[in-house]
Amino acid sequence: MELKELSRYSDAVNELLARYGVKFGIYKNNTFKEQLFPFDMIPRVIEGEEFAYLERGLKQRVQALNLFIQDIYHDKKIIRDGVVPEEFVYAGSGYLAQCEGVMPPKGIYSHISGIDLVQSKDGTWYILEDNLRIPSGASYPMIARDLCRKSMPQIFQENPIADNRNYAKLLRRTMDHVNTGGHTVILTPGRYNAAYFEHSYLAEQTGAHLVTGSELIVENDHLYFIDFSGKKERVGAVYRRISDDYLDPMHFREDSVIGIPHVYDIYQKGNVALINAPGNGVADDKGIYYFVPKMIRYYLGEEAILHNAPTYLPYYEEDMKYVLEHFDQLVLKDVAEAGGYGVVFGSKLTREEKDHFLSMLKAEPRRFIAQEVIDFLDIDIVEGDKAVPRKADLRAFVLMGEEPMVWKSGLTRFSRNPDSFIVNSSQGGGFKDTWVLSR
Amino acid sequence: MKRLRFQYHMSLSFDMPVQEHHFTLKCLPQSDDRQAVESLTYDVYPNYFISRSKDSFGNDSIYGYCKEEHQRFLIDVRGMIQVESAPAVSMADGSRADIYKYQTEHTRPGAALREYHAALLQASGEGTLRRAEYLMHRLHRDMAYEQGVTTVATTAEEAMRLRKGVCQDYAHVLLSLCRMEKIPCRYVVGMMLGEGLSHAWVEVCDAGAWAALDPTNDCIIDDGYIKISCGRDYKDCLLNQGIFTGSSGRATQKQEISVFVEEIV
Repeated sequence: MELKELSRYSDAVNELLARYGVKFGIYKNNTFKEQLFPFDMIPRVIEGEEFAYLERGLKQRVQALNLFIQDIYHDKKIIRDGVVPEEFVYAGSGYLAQCEGVMPPKGIYSHISGIDLVQSKDGTWYILEDNLRIPSGASYPMIARDLCRKSMPQIFQENPIADNRNYAKLLRRTMDHVNTGGHTVILTPGRYNAAYFEHSYLAEQTGAHLVTGSELIVENDHLYFIDFSGKKERVGAVYRRISDDYLDPMHFREDSVIGIPHVYDIYQKGNVALINAPGNGVADDKGIYYFVPKMIRYYLGEEAILHNAPTYLPYYEEDMKYVLEHFDQLVLKDVAEAGGYGVVFGSKLTREEKDHFLSMLKAEPRRFIAQEVIDFLDIDIVEGDKAVPRKADLRAFVLMGEEPMVWKSGLTRFSRNPDSFIVNSSQGGGFKDTWVLSR
Repeated sequence: MKRLRFQYHMSLSFDMPVQEHHFTLKCLPQSDDRQAVESLTYDVYPNYFISRSKDSFGNDSIYGYCKEEHQRFLIDVRGMIQVESAPAVSMADGSRADIYKYQTEHTRPGAALREYHAALLQASGEGTLRRAEYLMHRLHRDMAYEQGVTTVATTAEEAMRLRKGVCQDYAHVLLSLCRMEKIPCRYVVGMMLGEGLSHAWVEVCDAGAWAALDPTNDCIIDDGYIKISCGRDYKDCLLNQGIFTGSSGRATQKQEISVFVEEIV
């Protein structure tokens, strides 16, 4: 298709997205701002065979991560066997002592995993980060695909593009699999949340009730949804789009007004499924990332199919030495930060900044990881009537029902700034559709 | 060994009627190697429902809800318990002791605690328990018991700067010092023989067992101590936790606790 034509469609689709309210919100300087999430018409295309390879690797990774979380909160074999040092677990911000000994329904912790990948110039895919808490973003490619199908149906007839309209069905199956009896609800903090569009869209698409904390109540040993007439109905699964901290003021942050008091008590008794399970942060910490290939070997007895970006842990003396010697070639990340914050490129620091950073690194080596800078494979976006190359990543969604399932699509995010490597939507990027070719 | 009869009473009074009151009461002693609960009864008033829960530290609790307006809230716990004089409790799950090695918000040392600890580094103390006892003796000597200078939110670092506090502060300071030496240790809430308030002390993991030290009284605990709960710090062992809405604004609550423990011979 001509670029000119594509850019005409681009305006039309973006207009529709704006009309449907496809936005995300961010807090900046204490005020809440909603932004459009710009959509670019040139899709990322992944060949069927290549995606099959990603699929195998993603399933393997998510299986190992689930086993890791279960092990950490129960037997702790991987620590006892010296594969993962205990301080990376217990001193990490994602570890929740409240989860010790608590088994979620069917033993599943990460029902919905958002695994971020990048492709380097030589074509190799690397895992950038695992998101196992409440990864967002599936709704954007869902609705964009829907609008594209409507505005240019011929493209989808002429090209063997895998149909990705099954995400809602996969999600529903995932939620039903762990439901302990009763309704399935999607718990949203409300319309001021960054991902509110997504919460309402997923509720509509899966047929789950969209609720806020005040519509749910624990009575005795069960959770109930109170409808407008005051009638109470059992709830067996909560796809909660609020973080662990805010989930239950009786167990986590006491000042949370968006959670459900005592929901954690009945979760401990196995009387409701929380999707994703609390405590998953112990496995998607940037420090733990380093250990994922080792986890795969440890739990599954297999080599990791998908590679991590080459990563160094200054915690290990040998790695610290390497990091100090190659500082200017590396990117350093603060393990406690997310969303593209706390990321430092060694080469971009001034002398003073570098000295300051090095003293922090030496004082708290556990706080940082260092990675080789990957030479991303740029992909084109439309700008005016030109195609220009930009950095992009891919968030793949892996759902864990009876079996792990990989959605044949994903969220491709790109950075608008030609010099930026950071593609997070909270830092002003846009997104694309991801076509997986079916042959 | 002692046979003890105990009563725990807590009342909350609100300065205005409150409603939609969710509560968790972690005030039920349980049986372990050291103590055997013979009988236990409790009343919670008012309540719409109550149920029982167990947290991941192994503590029992009562949780519940009271929808209707009320201005007073009461819980009474009564029971009989046999307590051994042997202070150590063997561990049900040894691997979990490691989670108690790490500092929490309440125990994280600042400059005052680090400096205090540095001066104790040279000194002796063979073995984990001996070492913890030594730390206890030192801090007991260097801190003064004084009510009203600290609150429930006071951290170990703040108490160390004051060199003053109550049992909660003594316990947090000892936890902080032990954790600086990677000794697994936990905060304990319980009751002591006599009439008074609830008490707090520390358990230290040594050779596969938890040994209990009372830094406020500078001693190893005896059979006059009834354990109620334990955790990483004070926050894991709250005797009473509640959220509620005031009917006409922001309600404040006043909490009163009374404990009575007597020996039955």
